[in-house]
Order: sequence, then structure tokens, then C-alpha cells
Amino acid sequence: MARAEPPAATFERRVLRSAAEHHYLRVRLELPDGGARPSVAQFKQLVVSALRELHGEVGAALPVDVLIYEEKTLSAILRVISSGLVKLWSALTLLGFYQNRRCAFRVLQVKPCGGWMASPKRQFLLQGCLASWVLCLFIERWPKCKNVLVWV
Amino acid sequence: AALSRRYVLCEVVSEDPRCRQCIEERAVGLAVRDAIGRVHGDYGLACCSISFTVKYLNAYTGTVLLRCRKDSYRLLCSALPFVRQLESRAQRYPCFLNTLHIGGTIRTCQKFLIQYNRRQLLMLLQNCTNEEERQCIQKSLLSCSITEEQSHSGDEEDDDGTE
Repeated sequence: MARAEPPAATFERRVLRSAAEHHYLRVRLELPDGGARPSVAQFKQLVVSALRELHGEVGAALPVDVLIYEEKTLSAILRVISSGLVKLWSALTLLGFYQNRRCAFRVLQVKPCGGWMASPKRQFLLQGCLASWVLCLFIERWPKCKNVLVWV
Repeated sequence: AALSRRYVLCEVVSEDPRCRQCIEERAVGLAVRDAIGRVHGDYGLACCSISFTVKYLNAYTGTVLLRCRKDSYRLLCSALPFVRQLESRAQRYPCFLNTLHIGGTIRTCQKFLIQYNRRQLLMLLQNCTNEEERQCIQKSLLSCSITEEQSHSGDEEDDDGTE
């Protein structure tokens, strides 16, 4: 039985209601020499200094957060606003030295906010505020209450 | 056009009158490049330096015309407010750059500059505090000896009263 010809390919555009606001990067810093490992503050300082070198003061002012940092393995999860992903990634790639020691950043995984981290429950669990999660669900269920409720 | 450029017209404003002697192509070019390097880093500096020159400079009025690629003129313009001093021959003077006009060709910038200078002259005349200065300025305007400009100074005399 002959099937009907599929219609000629049309251009389809999907618009996400909420485009990814943040991107999450899983990175690992490789320090081949067995020296002192950077603490989380030094790690953030390293990331910001990499941005400053390649993209100047504008790059250094990019809101980058170190969400999770493991000093033993020197791996971290960074969060950056989506418009700054290219700047951050390029700055990490081109970083070669940490305190005059050779180093390299390996970017293992990049995910836009639409992943498992996006759901309100996850967001607030990450920030450790369960009450806000409940509030968020409440507002999703009854959106008209948004004007009434005051966000703390 | 395949190779598009943008011409940025700016004016050097300084409180120190000795800053005028610092206004040279090399000094201004270095100051702008240094500002771009600070604000936009190595990437911005390399991007803007591709086709960057100081095309025209007038130390008396402090007018500077910079040229850059069309793709990176935003980086250049956003870094201009960060130029804080001009340095030349081991002397530095604080100043700032005022962006007047951005054009695609030198001709548009020149047209704008002519109109701008005309307006500035009128304002200078208005702000004259005493009659002597006024006479002085009027005399020097009328004594401009380029033949084309004669009709210019004629217009300006007429516009005196209305402005």
C-alpha cells in the first residue's frame, strides 16, 4: 500500500519558553607537579585571573560561581551565565600557569540549565533552601498568588 | 564592501593646558591600545589592533580620528572612557576622550567635524565674557584666508544674532 508522500520539508522552529540561563561546566585542573593544591578560594581566583588575562576587566567581572570543588581530585563544577560561556571556556583553555607551575584545565562536561539542575526543586536543594522550593511549587500551582507573596 | 572599517571621532579633553603637547599619534595610539588591553584583555587587544591606526589628529582642538575594523568597533568604543592619561616624552597628563561621532568613512566624519566645529565656534562666541574677546574672535574668524571659507565667515556673522 502506497504511503502518502510526506510533505516537503518545512522549516520548523522551536522556541523554548525559558532558554537556558546558566551553563554548568564540569572541569578538572591538572597540576602535573606534586605541589600544594589550591583551595577553593584560590581556585576561584585562578578562574577569574584567567578570564582577566584573556578578556580583561569585562571578562573578570563575569559572574562565575564555583558550585562544587574537590581539592583531592582538583575537579569542580562551575556555573556561568550563558552569554559568557564562550569567554569562560576559552579563558580556561588558554590558561597555562598557576603560580609559575605548569597546569591545564580539562573541560569534561558542559550542560545548559535545561538539565537535571533546572527543576526548581534541584535549584533550591543546591542552595539548601527547601522552604523556597515549596514556595516555588506553590506559586507554580497558583500563579495568581505571585503578586501577593513577598519573596524573602 | 569586503573590508569594512569604522572611523571613530573623539576629542581629547584635559584640564591641564600642557596636555596639548602630548597629543601625538603615537601617544594617543598607545593610550587607547593600553586601555583596550586592560578592559578587554588579550583577545580584545588583538581583535581591535588588526586595522587600528590614528588617522587624523589636531593638537589645537584635540580632535582625534581613529580607525578600526567594523567587527571590533564596539570593543574600541567601550574602552575609550577608560583612557585616563596621555604619556609622551616621560610626561603624563590626565585627560579623557569624548566620543563625538562614529562613521563608516572618513568623509562622513569630516562632514560631521565641520558642522561640529561651526557649532563650537558659535558657542565660544556666546560664552565670551567681555567685548574684547568677542572682537578678537570675530577678527580672527574674518581673517581666515582660504577663499572657500570666506562665505563661511559671512554665514557665521549672520548667525550671531539668531543664536
